[in-house]
Amino acid sequence: MSEPAYAFDGLPLDPVRRGTSILVAGPSHVGTKELAYRMLAGADDEGVIILTTNTTAADITAECEAVGIEVSPDRMGIVDCLDSDDSGVPARVLTVSSAQDLTGIGMRYSKLYSDFHSEGIESVRTGLFSISTVLSLTELQTVSRFVHTLVGRVSKVGGLGVFLVDPAMHDERELRTISQFCDGRIDVREGEDGPELRSQGFLGGSSTWLSFEPLSDGR
Amino acid sequence: MKVLCVDPAADERRETRAALADAGFDATICGSLDEARGVLAADAVSGVITEYDLPDGTGLELVTYAREIHPDVTGVLFTDADFAAIDTDALSGTVVEYVDKDAADARDELVDLLSFSIDNRSQTAYPLPDDEDRRLDAVEAYVDDTDALDDSLDRLTQVACALFDVDAATVGFVEDHHERFLACQGADIDRLDREDTICTYTILDEGPTVIDDTREDPRFRDNDELSASGIRFYAGAPIRTDDGDAVGVFCLFDDEPRSFSARERTLLSLLADEVMESLDLRRRLREATEDGDE
Repeated sequence: MSEPAYAFDGLPLDPVRRGTSILVAGPSHVGTKELAYRMLAGADDEGVIILTTNTTAADITAECEAVGIEVSPDRMGIVDCLDSDDSGVPARVLTVSSAQDLTGIGMRYSKLYSDFHSEGIESVRTGLFSISTVLSLTELQTVSRFVHTLVGRVSKVGGLGVFLVDPAMHDERELRTISQFCDGRIDVREGEDGPELRSQGFLGGSSTWLSFEPLSDGR
Repeated sequence: MKVLCVDPAADERRETRAALADAGFDATICGSLDEARGVLAADAVSGVITEYDLPDGTGLELVTYAREIHPDVTGVLFTDADFAAIDTDALSGTVVEYVDKDAADARDELVDLLSFSIDNRSQTAYPLPDDEDRRLDAVEAYVDDTDALDDSLDRLTQVACALFDVDAATVGFVEDHHERFLACQGADIDRLDREDTICTYTILDEGPTVIDDTREDPRFRDNDELSASGIRFYAGAPIRTDDGDAVGVFCLFDDEPRSFSARERTLLSLLADEVMESLDLRRRLREATEDGDE
């Protein structure tokens, strides 16, 4: 029997095998971030860890709840690079002083993952929101090592990694390098009838644009 | 596999060494940054496991130093220090794995994580081809008698310099941590760390990689090796086996930015194919000779 996979309810994406990391690339105004959040919404017994570089832990919580992720300390961890006030946030929040501190982010991520694992949570979805902020602050080679290490950890523990990036902020060669660490890439664009996505590297390498329904107008 | 384990507490480092030895690692242990530097200067290691707080520095300083000598080394901070006591701001780009020494079964987790990270080379600062293990096997299989190749490769790089009117042409083989150059016309390079060579990226692509101006490419504009050697233009074609594994690259360099036509790309690929044919021929000859000796 094959291992359980990560499914994406309500999205035109087939389930992916455990240990998969996906780059989600698209402009923020067409619902790319909402798509990335929805990819983190899984079964009740799964954990979620979000590494946030430009959004407070409180806002992350609200955005998760908006896409149907039940936020609780039992299954949600946040690494907050804004060092914001996390009192009242119903999740395990670990802070670092800046999104430049990739060493600190990675260590806190390892800690959250290890804690979830020791508590019996075997499936964890991880979001890095966003690589664009990290790339704007740190040189590509260092970001590459960071992403490679993160992808390695996701692969080792059979997790799911969702890495958000806004392609308009980066040279395509830079973006391509980051995507080479991931197992696949989803591009998002505004189609004639709403947002569309195209997956590469999995789903049989299909390059067809598929429309998906946004949950709200507040994309 | 050699690793270095640094912990000021003698009983702790011995316990960690025992756990590593049980998993098949050859672990050298010591208690300070200075001692660790001595070990790293004398010998290559695949991984560094370190406490954070060392008597003469920190574990993050150690990993940073280790990567200056061995860029692909896997770093794991194995510590009981609180996050509040760990200054990551100063070495924000070091990037290590982390295992809480106080956690239950901490050494099991350490060994498990270290084994995975080294086996999968998941801390390199560059992407790897899809099937890197198979590619490295191919490098070993095809490039074991390099002396015999020298003359023919030298002739090819000489022709390439004249044909493309460039400063330098090389043939390099991309091994696990370095690119080793077997032929250099117009340049004098023995080997480069893999994270410093453009060929690391060339072997990821099917066809030739051309960088009209390295200073305009975000992947290479901060590359000190390229700056020091004055390289502005690069073109490289993968040397690929019949199974599709890129064992090396046929490269051209120039100190001025320039363009490269489709015809030139085709010719460069033909030169790379020529090298592969020579490698293949020598391999078959070697196998036939070995069969005849048995």
